[in-house]
Amino acid sequence: MVRLPYVTALTTLFSYGLLFAFGQLRDFFRKIIDWFKSTSKDLKGYAPICLGLEDFYTRRLYLRIQDCFSRPIASAPDAWFDVVERYSKDNNKTLHRTSKTSKCLNLGSYNYLGFAAADEYCTPRVIESLKKYSPSTCSIRVDGGTTDLHTELEFLVARFVGKPAAITFGMGYVTNSAIIPVLIGKGGLIISDSLNHNSIVNGARGSGAAVRVFQHNNAPHLEEVLREQIAEGQPRTHRPWKKIIVIVEGIYSMEGELCQLPEIIAVCKKYKVYTYLDEAHSIGAVGKSGKGVCELLGVDPADVDIMMGTFTKSFGSCGGYIAASKEIVQYLKHACPAQLYATSMSPPAVQQVISALKVILGEDGSSRGAQKLAQIRENSNFFRSELKKMGFEVLGDNDSPVMPIMLYNPAKIPAFSRDCLKQNVAVVTVAFPATPLLLARARICISAAHSREDLLKGLEVISKVGDLVGIKYFPAEPPKHGHQAHKKVD
Amino acid sequence: MMPKLYVEAVPPADLNKNTEWFMYPGVWTTYILILFFSWLLVLSLFSCAPGTAWTFVNLAHFAITYHFFHWKKGTPFSEDQGIYNSLTWWEQMDNGKQLTRNRKFLAVVPVVLYLIASHTTDYRHPMLFLNTVAVIVLVIAKLPNMHKVRIFGINAGR
Repeated sequence: MVRLPYVTALTTLFSYGLLFAFGQLRDFFRKIIDWFKSTSKDLKGYAPICLGLEDFYTRRLYLRIQDCFSRPIASAPDAWFDVVERYSKDNNKTLHRTSKTSKCLNLGSYNYLGFAAADEYCTPRVIESLKKYSPSTCSIRVDGGTTDLHTELEFLVARFVGKPAAITFGMGYVTNSAIIPVLIGKGGLIISDSLNHNSIVNGARGSGAAVRVFQHNNAPHLEEVLREQIAEGQPRTHRPWKKIIVIVEGIYSMEGELCQLPEIIAVCKKYKVYTYLDEAHSIGAVGKSGKGVCELLGVDPADVDIMMGTFTKSFGSCGGYIAASKEIVQYLKHACPAQLYATSMSPPAVQQVISALKVILGEDGSSRGAQKLAQIRENSNFFRSELKKMGFEVLGDNDSPVMPIMLYNPAKIPAFSRDCLKQNVAVVTVAFPATPLLLARARICISAAHSREDLLKGLEVISKVGDLVGIKYFPAEPPKHGHQAHKKVD
Repeated sequence: MMPKLYVEAVPPADLNKNTEWFMYPGVWTTYILILFFSWLLVLSLFSCAPGTAWTFVNLAHFAITYHFFHWKKGTPFSEDQGIYNSLTWWEQMDNGKQLTRNRKFLAVVPVVLYLIASHTTDYRHPMLFLNTVAVIVLVIAKLPNMHKVRIFGINAGR
């Protein structure tokens, strides 16, 4: 639910209409010029890779602002990092790297607990395991790719999350898109939140099950959809569904909102459907001891059938895991293609996760884990409240480290991104098709590695750029009580 | 100072990104405003009578909306992998459900344009004939019975 000024909605629609019209005009002239230039079909009877209109959005809209995306970096994604400067001679159609870098404040990496850069506990152990186990197992899990590090990690993850058993994979995206087809097939029903991540959508499409969508975070609508689908049964035959799975996420990365887990679990229990919780952004980042959305919202992990997460965000590594009951994990070990055909996780990456988990649990002998968790909660709440006070429209719930700032108009996306980069703050802007058409946004990810000065600098730059670009849609609060507010937060 | 009017936008549960943008607030107003401003533009460019300008807008509207709503098929995104490649934009709207509010609005607009254009030209020929052809084709194309119908196989190809 976003609130936007009506005039902004009109201007955004008009801008997209104008961009669309110009794109069509350019395509039209391109077709004429191409028809004149070469009537010879060099295709030799092969079909073209894409029809002319399939990549219209990429060609005519995305390429214009290509320099705001895919910026290469030249250092570890810590609180400050080096961004490589690029230039273009043909209006952003091709970009060339230079050898110059600029040090920028990192407000875009999913570095929630600060493990992305060298850490005093994790890095020596990772280097040791690199020397002992080598960078890759060069084998699938079933053959020779299961080292004792992998089994230790699976035990540790299961203990951390609160489930009986866990299984890990080499890539986070693949965890969703390869597991969902294994869990459910034709004759089953998947009900997923309308704002679920592309990996879940991909897995659902690949499974062959019927897919229905319920309104984002809306437990009554989920109940309505469930009742309708259970009553109707499978399409055409109307036989009862073989299995129904409801898929939700812990923190939605484009909104920064927490899932309404207790209500959704209550609905699922009532109708006896399975639940699948994707905690990619919430594991390790929210909750008093970092155990994710279940701890934060007071849901018993035994109520969620399958819990999925990734190691890329809070643990500074790569890969994903699934935690569930012993029977499900045993079945997945035999049936999942990512176990049977894909290389297992790289051993240093596994060691990084093990060390990070030990730090978070406090088992490394220090209280750095608890410090980091408190730091990220404080940082996110401070940043979010300051942004709201300045008049920006910020989405997301309190305690969530992801905060999108709404931009809306397509022209404000490159303006905001480029102006922030000029002042050495690197932000990530997201547009269509990752978000709905009208709701383009700049997404800020706060990290425990950010100090108070970093946040203040970020706020100052964003405020200046926000004034220039004109995205302070709400009235700003007067700084009368600013003095007291600072005292309270400190 | 004019107070800022806010609207609430709930992200609609529509998986088709090609048509989802039509369910947001402000779309109808933008459509009507575009038509009105293009009438003003035609008037200022050609300095013709208001009736001729409305006829021009009506015919341009006919050409553009027929091409984009009822002729072009598929979506401009390759990630959809061609599942909508045989459906025009009109058939993809609202997931194929007929007689929704959006569809009724879009069916009424050509009729209203026709009434305005024929009234301001005093029902004279040849403008009346052209306007009538435009409105008949557009309204027939939007009828629920014409869902996925291709007359004489026109536009049934890729």
